Amino acid sequence: MATLYSTQCPSFFAYSPSSSSFSSSNLALLQRVNFSRRFLASKASLKSQPLSSQAPVNTQQHHGAVAAAVTPIENGTSHKQLKAELLSVMSPEESQGEADFEKDENESTVSITVVGASGDLAKKKIFPALFALYYEDCLPKHFTIYGYARSKMTDAELRNMVSKTLTCRIDKRENCSEKMDQFLKRCFYHSGQYDSQENFAGLDKKLKEHEGGRTSNRLFYLSIPPNIFIDAVKCASLSASSGNGWTRVIVEKPFGRDSESSAALTKSLKQYLTEDQIFRIDHYLGKELVENLSVLRFSNLIFEPLWSRQYIRNVQLIFSEDFGTEGRGGYFDHYGIIRDIMQNHLLQILALFAMETPVSLDAEDIRNEKVKVLRSMRPLQLQNMVIGQYKSHTRGGVTYPAYVDDKTVPDGSLTPTFAAAALFIDNARWDGVPFLMKAGKALHNKRAEIRVQFRHVPGNLYNRNIGTDLDRATNELVIRVQPDEAIYLKINNKVPGLGMKLDRSNLNLHYAARYSKEIPDAYERLLLDAIEGERRLFIRSDELDAAWSLFTPVLKELEEKRIIPEYYPYGSRGPVGAHYLAAKYNVRWGDLGTDIDQ
Amino acid sequence: MASILGPSLSIVTSYAFRNETTLVAHSPVWISCARPGNRNHFQLKSSNGLPLNALSSNDGLAASSLAMADSKSQSLEGSFPLSDSELTGPNLTITVVGASGDLAKKKIFPALFALYYEDWLPENFLVFGFARTKMTNDELRIMISKTLTCRIDKRENCEDKMDKFLKRCFYHYGQYNSEEHFSELDSKLREKEGGKLSNRLYYLSIPPNIFVDVVRCASLKASSKDGWTRVIVEKPFGRDSESSSELTKCLKQYLTEDQIFRIDHYLGKELVENLSVLRFSNLVFEPLWSRNYIRNVQIIFSEDFGTEGRGGYFDNYGIIRDIMQNHLLQILALFAMETPVSLAAEDIRNEKVKVLRSMRPLQLENVVVGQYKGHSKGGKSYPGYTDDPTVPKGSLTPTFAAAALFIDNARWDGVPFLMKAGKALHTKRAEIRVQFRHVPGNLYKRNFGTDLDKATNELVLRVQPDEAIYLKINNKVPGLGMRLDRSDLNLLFRSRYPREIPDAYERLLLDAIEGERRLFIRSDELDAAWALFTPLLKEIENKKIAPELYPYGSRGPVGAHYLAARHNVRWGDLGNEDS
Repeated sequence: MATLYSTQCPSFFAYSPSSSSFSSSNLALLQRVNFSRRFLASKASLKSQPLSSQAPVNTQQHHGAVAAAVTPIENGTSHKQLKAELLSVMSPEESQGEADFEKDENESTVSITVVGASGDLAKKKIFPALFALYYEDCLPKHFTIYGYARSKMTDAELRNMVSKTLTCRIDKRENCSEKMDQFLKRCFYHSGQYDSQENFAGLDKKLKEHEGGRTSNRLFYLSIPPNIFIDAVKCASLSASSGNGWTRVIVEKPFGRDSESSAALTKSLKQYLTEDQIFRIDHYLGKELVENLSVLRFSNLIFEPLWSRQYIRNVQLIFSEDFGTEGRGGYFDHYGIIRDIMQNHLLQILALFAMETPVSLDAEDIRNEKVKVLRSMRPLQLQNMVIGQYKSHTRGGVTYPAYVDDKTVPDGSLTPTFAAAALFIDNARWDGVPFLMKAGKALHNKRAEIRVQFRHVPGNLYNRNIGTDLDRATNELVIRVQPDEAIYLKINNKVPGLGMKLDRSNLNLHYAARYSKEIPDAYERLLLDAIEGERRLFIRSDELDAAWSLFTPVLKELEEKRIIPEYYPYGSRGPVGAHYLAAKYNVRWGDLGTDIDQ
Repeated sequence: MASILGPSLSIVTSYAFRNETTLVAHSPVWISCARPGNRNHFQLKSSNGLPLNALSSNDGLAASSLAMADSKSQSLEGSFPLSDSELTGPNLTITVVGASGDLAKKKIFPALFALYYEDWLPENFLVFGFARTKMTNDELRIMISKTLTCRIDKRENCEDKMDKFLKRCFYHYGQYNSEEHFSELDSKLREKEGGKLSNRLYYLSIPPNIFVDVVRCASLKASSKDGWTRVIVEKPFGRDSESSSELTKCLKQYLTEDQIFRIDHYLGKELVENLSVLRFSNLVFEPLWSRNYIRNVQIIFSEDFGTEGRGGYFDNYGIIRDIMQNHLLQILALFAMETPVSLAAEDIRNEKVKVLRSMRPLQLENVVVGQYKGHSKGGKSYPGYTDDPTVPKGSLTPTFAAAALFIDNARWDGVPFLMKAGKALHTKRAEIRVQFRHVPGNLYKRNFGTDLDKATNELVLRVQPDEAIYLKINNKVPGLGMRLDRSDLNLLFRSRYPREIPDAYERLLLDAIEGERRLFIRSDELDAAWALFTPLLKEIENKKIAPELYPYGSRGPVGAHYLAARHNVRWGDLGNEDS
């Protein structure tokens, strides 16, 4: 199948629904429209000039009809042919409509305000992601980027700061510095307090200037500590909302510390924003292989029949970092690894993995299924949980500090830097299958992966060739999210030769070898989705509630009982307790084996 | 290896023990213990009152029937290289009848040498060449030595080993139908065997019309008196049901069923051996292995050269008999059979016979035949089949055939099994392709465009060249859009297993020596296979069906596509994807 590596970004703005002006039923329709556009890559590439963004509703629907009429289009079809097809299904009137779009194009703009622009995340992730989107032509023609923070800074200072972290992808070096300059010219800075409506009104004024009377859509990215979320949302919403376009707010974790605080946060946000203005980001959902999980499951006949308790013995979700808090323990200590990684990233992946087939790929359909599976889960119990904390360790003359040696961590902190948990989904598909999660800092390697261990072959004819350790002879599907994206399936295979010796080999797909293009950062995808109003990868309020209700009781118990974490040396494989936990459910961690793991 | 004088109980026990830990042990000795062939030993042991472990249950019919036939020799077989040189095992004499022929030179002697090099042959073995040509032992050795090679990873001592091997090779000249000449051979053999227990293996590398003569002479005059005597026969096993059963009948006048080893060298290929391992030792494949998930199966064989002056034999048989009725059908049977009770030869062959007997005999309308014609490409011209001087003018013998077969059982009802075999095509390959069904209610339908067929999964086992297994899956192309393409989950043997893969003949010779019959064709299997093809072959010949001509080096006749299309199949090997 022809693949269009050169395909430009599939985004353009004709269909972006304005959340403030559409009823929810319209919204659903528009999402579908939106969806089909997003997924018709070749069609997108034909629109090298973005169409206007703010069109009357009925025209949008027309366009939806057009999109539907051209589907299905083979990905490999040439652009020219496509355009011909596209035009041929358009009535003259519709063509006229398109012409109107072209004219209207100057009338719409997106302003992206990064609140907390001087922070680390903004510098390292958000601005570079915005630049990458710009470089790949994914941003609308008219866009403005504003940094907002308390520090006093000029536009030039902001640009200087931003420019230090911008990079071009290896395969896109061409014109890079030129593009950077163009991008930086669109970046501005506004200094203000996060709780000052007045300061936000000042921002609003500046934004309006840049928008110059066009339909304005505004996206606020809140890259600020959670305690000032509400203030910033209030001020932005009251004083700096778009008058005629949409206003959306991206919020980063943490979304509270437990069910109650999360619900309170949601309630407060909803005083100022509607549900579809809130984009709760979980950047793990933007990772390439997490996105691919649904594709693997639902577009391959060979996987779906296996996807149940009948064939799957256990599922492992593993996250590890090979460094500690390194002087940034202040935030972390308040939350701990369970809240920081498990309750959000790993649980989200689990939900995607385990959900039933959604009615469609629409955001609401997928999120409905995720909520269902989360609600089918048993709340986590203390006995199914192991927590750990790293202690200092000296190796090869280098001493690695313990967690509590970190100056930003309170003395005697019991905050877990490692946790392993066994979760269960009490539904027909997954009853009895343990889902094991493991997340930790300061471990021996850095990785994130999903491992699916299949059951033994019933009545295996080759048992004798496998020896005593039957567990080693089961199939395993590994989806490695990072580093070095790969999918591989461990199968039993005959070792070539005259004997009958079996071993496990991998059927594998190594992304670096198969796809030469650089894989976009998760933030790029998520920012683009937010701009386009695609909510699939953002977390809905009820999802968040369901996720918290699984973890809140155990978190409370841990804190109330002051459970002491098991200590493990910095750079080790984590506490032994994790193995006992796994053994209790007849599971062997897949990441600690000795076999080849390319 | 004390075994020569009868295996002692203690040794046997240790085998049984080792066998359980096969995966862990890596020395060639252990590998050899893991060979199913050695199962016979366990069988015998358990009857000796040793504890019956799980192993013995697998022995089943095969071993017990064998035990009847040649239990004594079985137990004495020195099949593993137990190299205590003080103690010597029974003699093994391998007589290659037709030693001056092409197959013998190119395949049999080199395979024997490779087995010798890797220590698979018993301590005391002899190789005899037998043919009508007058030759001395030295002349035979010179002839053989030209084709011996060492594997790339085994260069060490190669010369040395070759010399040692050649010293064990002898030649006896004689007529194939002369009992007298065979009794001369017998006395030579006996001389070399020196009165010890001896097993004899005959490899008939001769034209089919003299099979029976040789078998008669060898069996009457040159059988082993105290050990076993086995005969390996190469195809063709007749031209149709009648001639095949006639041949079998004649062979059975002189040999019992378990002395006859009908070789199909495709069954000795690494990936064909691996087929059962993949199916039966991986949970992820077995649930998919039925009409519920598999849309069609393709078994493809192609050669990129024609008869090149050796059309005499071929013209009498044609591609259907030469490739389809044996090699491809055997692969199909292995692919489609039900799970056998055990891996024992008889259990597997029982299942193969069952699946063959569930198949509908081929009908003319489900077959396309072709013949290559001359073709000029880049200033070079390639001859047509009938341009070959060894081919009769106006021959209608097919050099290409495609067929759709159906298995009318619960597992496979309605699933087309397509076979394609041809000479003088654009590539040289042999592969099995399993195309899976569409995803029901595919959420990503719109991403695939109009051609849903391209979006199905496919499992490919490439037997040659360049052994590989790969599974085509749909995958998201990394990037901000949602574009899907087919990627391969793959296992390329060359990169995973740097060791050279043994030739099919090595495996099969070793199996015959060890009495492992799994990869040899039983008489009833052969009958069932012929029953499928005979009516069709007769019809083609009676009606003088003219083959569709296709240019030398092309992709074969277009008819193959129409045949596939009629059954809603697209040949997997003609896509423009890399594969």
